[in-house]
Amino acid sequence: MNPFLLGASAPVLSKIPISTGVATALVALLMLTHIQFAAFQQGGYLILAVSDFMGWKRKDERHNRFAHGLLICLGATFAFGSALAIFAVMILFLGLWSVFWDTIFRVLFWPMFVEAISFVGEIICLYTLYSQWQRLGGVRGLRVGLELLLFVNAQIQMFCIDVMASYMLTPRPSSDLALDIFNPTMIPLEIHRFVGNIAFAGAMIALVGGVRILWSKGSTSRAYADWMGHYGLVWAIGFTIAQPLVGWEYAKEIQLHAYASWYSMMLGGLSVAFLFQVFLLGAIFTVGIYYLWRRVRAGGVRAPALAVCTGISLAAWLLISTPSSLAWSYEDVFAANANVPIWQGGLLIPWGEMIPFKLVALIAFTGVAIVAITVYLKHLSRGHLTWGSAGRGQAVALIVVGVAVSLIMALMGYIREDSRSPFLITDQMLINQQQNFTPPSSPGPDLNGPGSGVGVVLPFGPPLP
Amino acid sequence: MKEASTAPQRSRLAATLTRPVAGLLATTYRWVDERLGVSDLTHQLLYEAVPRRGAWAYSLGSATLIIIVLQIVTGMFLLWTYVPSTTEAWESLNYIEHHDEFAAIVRGMHLWGAYVLFVVIGLHMIRTFVSGSYKKPRELNWIVGVVLFLLVLGLGITGAMLPWDQAAYWTATVVTHVVDYIPFLGNWVQEILRGGPQMGPETLTRFFAIHIWLLPALLVPLIGLHLVLLRRHGEHGSWVNYEGVEVESEQHRAERMAHAESPYPALPSDPGYAVPVDLDQFFPSQVFKDAVLSFGLVILIFVMAVVVGAPLERAANPAALNYVPTPEWFFLPLDQILVQFPQAWMIPVGVFVIPGIGTTLLMLVPFLDRTPDREPWRRPEVMAPALFAVLFLIFEALLAVNRLFNL
Amino acid sequence: MAEEARELAQRRVSRRRFMIMGINVAGAGTALLIAAPIVGSVLSPVFAKRKTPWVMVADVSRVPIGVPTAYVVNLPINEGWSVPPVPRTVYVVKLNLNGSVEMLTLSNVCTHMQCDVHWDIGLQEFLCPCHGGLYSIDGTNIGGPPPWPLFRYEHKLVDSTLYVRNVLYEP
Ligand code: HEM
Ligand code: HEM
Ligand code: FES
Repeated sequence: MNPFLLGASAPVLSKIPISTGVATALVALLMLTHIQFAAFQQGGYLILAVSDFMGWKRKDERHNRFAHGLLICLGATFAFGSALAIFAVMILFLGLWSVFWDTIFRVLFWPMFVEAISFVGEIICLYTLYSQWQRLGGVRGLRVGLELLLFVNAQIQMFCIDVMASYMLTPRPSSDLALDIFNPTMIPLEIHRFVGNIAFAGAMIALVGGVRILWSKGSTSRAYADWMGHYGLVWAIGFTIAQPLVGWEYAKEIQLHAYASWYSMMLGGLSVAFLFQVFLLGAIFTVGIYYLWRRVRAGGVRAPALAVCTGISLAAWLLISTPSSLAWSYEDVFAANANVPIWQGGLLIPWGEMIPFKLVALIAFTGVAIVAITVYLKHLSRGHLTWGSAGRGQAVALIVVGVAVSLIMALMGYIREDSRSPFLITDQMLINQQQNFTPPSSPGPDLNGPGSGVGVVLPFGPPLP
Repeated sequence: MKEASTAPQRSRLAATLTRPVAGLLATTYRWVDERLGVSDLTHQLLYEAVPRRGAWAYSLGSATLIIIVLQIVTGMFLLWTYVPSTTEAWESLNYIEHHDEFAAIVRGMHLWGAYVLFVVIGLHMIRTFVSGSYKKPRELNWIVGVVLFLLVLGLGITGAMLPWDQAAYWTATVVTHVVDYIPFLGNWVQEILRGGPQMGPETLTRFFAIHIWLLPALLVPLIGLHLVLLRRHGEHGSWVNYEGVEVESEQHRAERMAHAESPYPALPSDPGYAVPVDLDQFFPSQVFKDAVLSFGLVILIFVMAVVVGAPLERAANPAALNYVPTPEWFFLPLDQILVQFPQAWMIPVGVFVIPGIGTTLLMLVPFLDRTPDREPWRRPEVMAPALFAVLFLIFEALLAVNRLFNL
Repeated sequence: MAEEARELAQRRVSRRRFMIMGINVAGAGTALLIAAPIVGSVLSPVFAKRKTPWVMVADVSRVPIGVPTAYVVNLPINEGWSVPPVPRTVYVVKLNLNGSVEMLTLSNVCTHMQCDVHWDIGLQEFLCPCHGGLYSIDGTNIGGPPPWPLFRYEHKLVDSTLYVRNVLYEP
């Protein structure tokens, strides 16, 4: 124990007339909003670079226009998002969570330092692009290079902040920075966010596209809005495809290294939220694939494969929506004696506990989405899509996907932060920043029969007969 | 003044001295050439047309070839010391590591050669895939390539068993136990590979024979076939060499075909792509690039062999309780699949069905994508799934690293 | 004349056929003669007979109840030629089942891909380092990829001295 911290081990919150609950709610609100902005930046930079590159190499006016619009949008969101972040750091962390901040800063000084520095890089690149857009158009390679630099810079930022987020969930008690950085959930979280942020940015673009389709007056602006919605959605669906697999691995590492959090997320109090999460994922895939199908149809081309994909996705979505209401947590499953393998009439499959349909559906979504995106791109490359022909239905589908992705981001952040409860840093610090405490008792009832105890680990579900 | 007058004199002197030798050499060469046809052959091998643009990417194939030759040569000389026996394999390599610096470098080059080879063959595969080089008439070249890739994977994994240290022992254990999950025949196949139900002396000798004879004996002739097919149809190269062929006039195309240099035109099925628009000479243009890339890679292999070398863990000990077996990095995705497909009936799905489907699809690529288009963005039906597959493999490898690092 | 010529031609053809047939037969025979012993030698391990002698482990009277205890045994591998016995781990587990003590001799070979599992004190379970397989104290597979419980060595007790032999059975 750091001697310096001993004096501070009493909750600092008590000095400020604000309850832990209110402080938590404040930080949650601020950070969840901040995450939405940050994720848009992270993914947006890549989409920006790719669009600008396409506009350059393929002399595509739409991409040119889109890249400039996106840049302005990214500049504005950066200003707002980083203002939020500074506010969060200054007021909330330094003021209300100073012990936590102090501790995490000691352990992860270097990642935080790099993170802070990288903002300078972001400001320079972004401002240069913002003010010199037209002039840089003459040296297009440089402009695309700057955009890529922004993306790389953003990835460095994300890496640093992921170190902190994953450390809070699965810290490795060690004095080795490498072990602290590459803690068990670091790589899964990193991949999860890398993919997720790009999907998120795509979904936001799709959302704007959808709204603009509904609002557009002239045929040119409608065609552009139509194209923009399609463009964003392809990014969104394309990158969301990786999420079920990576998310599963992520959950598995949490299970191995922070069992209590995992229990709460998958089987305990938060499992309802997690089911809603999968429900939202089902919405994204089903409505997204529905859009792909209708979009091709709107061009006057039949796409039976996409119709089938929509059907399968819908079936999988219904599958997870219904049985999940039967069992909100593992305790219910246990009480109903359904904690036996599915071939014995229970609810368990070798891949995971509780709702097996959740996993079956995730696999179905992944497979179907790969096929759907491939087929859709094939239609696109054959010139079957004419911009401007999207109807209201497709516009609404785009908006639904955008809203669902935004919700899922917020929900995921909430689940991750809340699953650690009562810890702020798993096993090391409580939410009220107390650092010397007696460990809380094991989560949930002891469901695993003889031989198991606190923190029993069941990586892939219970044994087969 | 003085300088200028002596210089030609000196060279004349040199010429007088060397003329008899040069003459003798020339005569000998002519004698041999009349009987062997060396210059004809050289001419045939070197003076051919290749596409001009994107040529650095076409160096990957030759780099693969050079590294395989390097593997064969270093492998031969490892055999000067290596003893294929469970009791002495580790001893002999341990001797190399501690008492024979040069052999240790040879061993290091064999290991790092294998590592670099996997990267290069992967890039070669990606490049021929992206450029659509597997399309008619080059389908068989692609299929032969896939078989070559599987053989190289086999060489990598069987080689990793040979040092018979802890890493090797557990690699061999896992690999020979995977086959146990083959329905019905599994037990037999495992016994055949191991030379018994358990890991024993014959396990090593069998895999030794596979590594140094069986697989190379298949690999070398197939590389020959790969190159013969390449020469028969000509290097296809990237789509950038065919820009504008869709809008080209009949007359222009006919002219292009008429003036095609050997080995073009390829099969006249999709005429636009039978001859690259822009041609270059294989020698020296392409060979120069091949040489530069291969030389760079061999330098890399050499430096890694000297600086890092090949690790040798403790000798195999089936009873060690605190050892964490870690597969070679190029098998990490498969190892992660082992984690993801748990328990009885799912294990065969993970180890046979999934990789089997993957390999079959890879083989069938030329028949899944039969449009004449070569640009990657006009072929999303193969490019999109391939992108997902590559991302999948990368993610799996990263996740496996994470799992093993945090164990 | 013409008939004779045709006959001649036919004879020629049949002679030609004969020779082709001869080539085929000789080729197939050669291949068979080479292949038969090779296939036999490759398959031989499947039919080999193996001796599995009893090997002394240790006096196990002091093994505590409920604590899996590892013993290293040098088991002769009766495959191929004679090599020194190979060390393997036997976990001796004593369990108190309704008052009577039962002793298990668990092999520590994971039933998934045959890595060495070890007793993890923190988890109070057998943990396999390869893919995270888990077994309870009596060897039942309770998590991760392993499809079966840990196998057991055939064993006998002479007084309190444990003997095992290299024969595994499923519980
Ligand atoms: C032992 C490994 C291999 C060797 C030595 C080898 C060698 C070569 C060489 C020297 C070339 C011509 C130069 C070039 O285009 O790079 C070539 C072309 C080619 N290789 Fe390979 N290769 C190997 C493995 C593979 C694999 C794994 C694949 C694919 C699965 C493959 C598919 C092809 C194709 C389709 C071409 C024709 C390229 C074109 O015409 O544009 N090869 N190979
Ligand atoms: C594409 C071809 C080949 C590949 C990819 C390959 C790969 C490998 C690898 C990865 C090892 C393990 C090295 C270590 O862990 O230390 C190895 C070992 C070995 N290989 Fe190869 N090899 C190839 C060809 C050959 C050939 C043709 C020979 C023999 C003529 C050979 C002989 C050996 C020997 C004797 C060893 C054991 C020595 C040692 O482990 O350092 N290899 N090989
Ligand atoms: S070998 Fe034990 S879990 Fe795979």
